[in-house]
Amino acid sequence: MSENFKPVTLNFGPQHPAAHGVLRLLVQLEGEVVNKAEPHIGLLHRGTEKLIEQKTYTQAIPYFDRLDYVSPMCQEHAFALAVENLLNIEAPKRAQYIRVMFAEVTRILNHLLNIPAFAMDIGAATPMLWAFEEREKMLEFHEAVSGARFHAAYFRPGGVHQDLPENLLEKMKKYFTNFPKFIDTLEELLTENRIFKQRSVDIGILKRDDAIRLSCSGPVLRASGVAWDLRKSQPYDVYQELDFDIPVGKTGDTYDRYLVRMEEMRESVKIILQCIENIPEGPVMVENNKITPPKRSEMKNSMEAIIHHFKLFTEGYRVPEGITYKSVEAPKGEFGVVLVSDGSSKPYRCKLRAPGFVHLQALHFLSKGHQLADVPSILGSLDIVFGEVDR
Amino acid sequence: MSPNILQKYSTGNFHFPIKSGIDNILVNKDTILEITQKIKEDEDLLYDQLIDITVTDNMLSKSSYSNERFTLIYSFLSLKFNKRLFIFTNISEDNLDINSITQIFESADWFERECYDLFGINFVNHPNLQRIMNDYNFQGHPLRKDFPLTGYEEVRYDENLKKVVYEPVTLKQEFRDFDNESPWEGMKETIKEELEKK
Repeated sequence: MSENFKPVTLNFGPQHPAAHGVLRLLVQLEGEVVNKAEPHIGLLHRGTEKLIEQKTYTQAIPYFDRLDYVSPMCQEHAFALAVENLLNIEAPKRAQYIRVMFAEVTRILNHLLNIPAFAMDIGAATPMLWAFEEREKMLEFHEAVSGARFHAAYFRPGGVHQDLPENLLEKMKKYFTNFPKFIDTLEELLTENRIFKQRSVDIGILKRDDAIRLSCSGPVLRASGVAWDLRKSQPYDVYQELDFDIPVGKTGDTYDRYLVRMEEMRESVKIILQCIENIPEGPVMVENNKITPPKRSEMKNSMEAIIHHFKLFTEGYRVPEGITYKSVEAPKGEFGVVLVSDGSSKPYRCKLRAPGFVHLQALHFLSKGHQLADVPSILGSLDIVFGEVDR
Repeated sequence: MSPNILQKYSTGNFHFPIKSGIDNILVNKDTILEITQKIKEDEDLLYDQLIDITVTDNMLSKSSYSNERFTLIYSFLSLKFNKRLFIFTNISEDNLDINSITQIFESADWFERECYDLFGINFVNHPNLQRIMNDYNFQGHPLRKDFPLTGYEEVRYDENLKKVVYEPVTLKQEFRDFDNESPWEGMKETIKEELEKK
């Protein structure tokens, strides 16, 4: 490179299709080579943590759907577990199975968005169309249980909002037994695709030590060869009763991250099918009307039920004082909630630990020395969604 | 847990029930660099991942777990021993300085920037202590309890000026914050019952 070649600073985003949302990335280039990549985030900052402080515990749940809006239920799961921990209650078995089942449906939904979006960034348009068709079918299951495709507000502290509708389990069983075939067709399109591999193999290598040092979690950490999954190491709900494997990568490049996500979908299908087999009958919510609202039918002829209902939806329930931290293995990594309660019916402080926030921080390390065209590939493989990064 | 190291730096218990069985210590803020270095390197601890740094503003808290205005919560994870650790440290309103741990845990960078942006904690020796969530020219620290939920400024695009303008917040109706909390303490009883059942 000639000596009088000055580095160029390029503004990538905030409105760029490959930025996966509103990321402003200042890229310092020397020719085509990235010297420095500095993400500027916060363009989608909505002050979720501040808003949660003003709401009762029940009213706070919908905010969790709006964090990482492609995998809503997993985040409600973390909040529900945290509140249950402070209240010292445990959801009934059936509710736990339903939660695990839908957390895995959500995981597949998330990966079915991320994988084709990543493929689209590096030149493949078809997977997006195919995956969205399947996503739509799975969103019908979301709709069946909660009434909403995305913003479900289905997992509540103490269980889930409502029991499964009739025949849903049969429908899900039929669908998910056939689903691995779709993963096969998706793999046929991508895994051995020459262009796809040229754009992703050996790009953005994250070695084992670097991944740990940069606090990575989830598929990003596993692709670097660390067999770490909160569903196995710190199991919550019924995960320890289920049989599944943790796929682990070797090199930690973007291609490995893609492979890990592909394999994870197969494992999720295994978990869902086991849940459908083993799900017990019983209540889906803690039967304590000081915490959970009474049934509609009960309210028609019980004065006490009406009082409970009124108290729960105006005052809310009080949570004993304490600090807790509960984390779940969200599709993107470790999603955690630090919940501080001062004994009132509103959270005193609710800090959301988003995996994407940490992964985006690693972008500079990953893209340094790569060409500019590799930045979207790396960004796509990190699975960034700005709802949770900016909060 | 290797009690020696943790006990050496601990300055007493954190008077607040910490659920979910996570190890925790309260340290003096001046020793934060030493203790993070130690827990990362000590072979019996090996807390190799920084999970989170967060702050609580104790201004309005009904429970008196801290006499100081802010409490910093560092959260660590040991992948080898599958353990978590909370380190609490108190920061007073008069002196918001604390040493940055970015030289020990690289990923502390954005967490500390976030604490600076939202609470105004000043991390000494941080490589790039700028706002991260809020606008570049934002004033104040929004997660402090004395910052109003509605904020002070609102932003819109002005069609005539052809640019984004900042204006003071005007509310069409007064901000309503109902106190729905009942003076009865009926709830405590049921929780006690729940506890006794266990």
